[in-house]
Amino acid sequence: MKKTILMAVLLVAALQVDAQSGRDIVERVKNRPDGDTRYAEMQLTLVKKNGNQRERKMVSWAMDEGKDTKKIMFFTYPGDVKGTGFLTWDYDQAGKEDDKWLYLPAMKKTRRISGSSSKTDYFMGTDFTYDDMGGRSVDDDTHKLLREEEKDGHKCWVVESVPVDSHEIYSKKLSWIRQDCDTAIYVEFYDKLNKLHRVMTVQDIQKVDGFWTVMKMKMENVQTGHSTLITVSAPKYDIKVDKSLFTVAKLEKGL
Amino acid sequence: MRNFVRIALLGGVAALLAAAPVKAQDFSAKGFVDTYHAVRTEKLGDWMSSRTRVRGEFSLEKDGGGAFVSANLVYNALLKDRSGVQLREAYAYWGNSHWDIRAGKQIVSWGVADGLRVTDLISPMDYSEFLAQDYDDIRVPVGALRVKYLHDVWSLEAIAVPVSEFFVLPTDPANPWSVGTLPPEVRPDPIIKNMEYGSRLSFFLGGVDFSLMALRTWTKMPELQGNHIGYHRLTVVGGDVSVPFGNFVFRGELADNMDDHGNHQGNALAGLDWYPGADWNVSAQYNQTFGAGENSTLATLRVSKALLSNALTLSTFAYIDVRDGGVFNRLSADWAATDQIHALLGYDFFHAREGLFLRYAHNSEVWLKLKYSF
Repeated sequence: MKKTILMAVLLVAALQVDAQSGRDIVERVKNRPDGDTRYAEMQLTLVKKNGNQRERKMVSWAMDEGKDTKKIMFFTYPGDVKGTGFLTWDYDQAGKEDDKWLYLPAMKKTRRISGSSSKTDYFMGTDFTYDDMGGRSVDDDTHKLLREEEKDGHKCWVVESVPVDSHEIYSKKLSWIRQDCDTAIYVEFYDKLNKLHRVMTVQDIQKVDGFWTVMKMKMENVQTGHSTLITVSAPKYDIKVDKSLFTVAKLEKGL
Repeated sequence: MRNFVRIALLGGVAALLAAAPVKAQDFSAKGFVDTYHAVRTEKLGDWMSSRTRVRGEFSLEKDGGGAFVSANLVYNALLKDRSGVQLREAYAYWGNSHWDIRAGKQIVSWGVADGLRVTDLISPMDYSEFLAQDYDDIRVPVGALRVKYLHDVWSLEAIAVPVSEFFVLPTDPANPWSVGTLPPEVRPDPIIKNMEYGSRLSFFLGGVDFSLMALRTWTKMPELQGNHIGYHRLTVVGGDVSVPFGNFVFRGELADNMDDHGNHQGNALAGLDWYPGADWNVSAQYNQTFGAGENSTLATLRVSKALLSNALTLSTFAYIDVRDGGVFNRLSADWAATDQIHALLGYDFFHAREGLFLRYAHNSEVWLKLKYSF
């Protein structure tokens, strides 16, 4: 009898795992706890195929408002872009355009920029698109759980995501999502011809203030040989941040 | 004498900065060295510009307050009187989450237009090399007190400019951009009655930004008044709007300029920015004045494309004098050799049989600029 009950429990548990859809997993990743507010300093190293490097440094703050997120970031290096700021109000609702502003200190001017097109543009010459930096809504893709397998010693879900909008820059992406921390640690992006285009690899992930934090990740364009390494330093969570930080007025005042 | 005063002033500021008991994190400095050389294409060997400068920008901040100074040290091989130290901005500021107060010499930029003036009337233009300079170099700083009250989605700004600044027009015959000899200039007396003042209420909402403004100002472009050139009072009310939709952003500005005799001139601008992706950017504007006085119709077109992971940017920006059929088009290629070094190559093309660009119809030029940022 005990054996039967145990079998039944295991069967139910197995069915629950199977019942978890690709969308559920991607939603888990999206909703992974990351505090209500966040701060981080980032170094972006752009590496050409011949090894030449360029660097960008920036600081960023973010605040959740329900399911939406407001972010502000300023470049601190190199000198010619220092002080350039981005303000973004990311909306969770699929199809709803984000609000974005760009402040150019040399022009002393804030410009409203398109909230939709820039999502698929590369961010400041890096190999990451704005979407890759975390702003993509779950339902902008349809997701399918392909399998479970080990990657770099961690149990992962492998999820295939296909954009709903056929004009996106990738035709599909395959994500290896670590089950213990709900984080994609390896992602393959395929181009319109279904050829491998870019590969994202998380190189360092740590728990900071109780929250899983990607400290180092690399995106490589396998077709051009160009790659970008993002290194995060001094991350902080649930910091005291005034709502007024995420306004155009603050963008114009600068750091 | 003027340069001596500027050097003394900069020296004073530098001494103050050096003497102040500040921590390293309170003080920041950045700037660049650039060298720019242009030659006329109609007659190669005819230099249009040859200048080198060091720009320094310094800020000192503590407890929400601070000071900002930017200045150029310029060597101009063609125009010796343009060499020397030029103070750009020098202002003190204080702010918290609701207030932003700035007092001193500063560039004021209102509105959403790109390179055209509808509500952006406070900082005039320096036409020493007409429009063949970077736009941020063309703006003339003004001595002003600005007080901004900031709310989450709106801000209210009040500004007072005790002594107005006006357009800089080159008259030196050695300058290829000279407008020729002008009659003596008579500026408004520096008295309180002649001060410039205004206000701007701006809203930044999900899906739309808009502003309303009112300004008691002066015409900033010199006009012939009998045997001298001068300026007249103007009251301007207007507004601007930006609306993103899909890959586009619509921009609009509208202003009513009224002189003290009750004559009205309208000024309207409509612009469209297109972000098609793949680091392309296309932007077009149409600007029309109407009503009293001489009217103009201008358009602009900007196309830019970033390549090689933003290491190379190709762009073109054209001013089109629609009424008289003139064009000024600035083509450029900006190559980021390293994080600090940019090399730019450009071609400024003029075409005009009459109108705004006629004076410069033979000023088409190729130019080279090297810039080191620090």
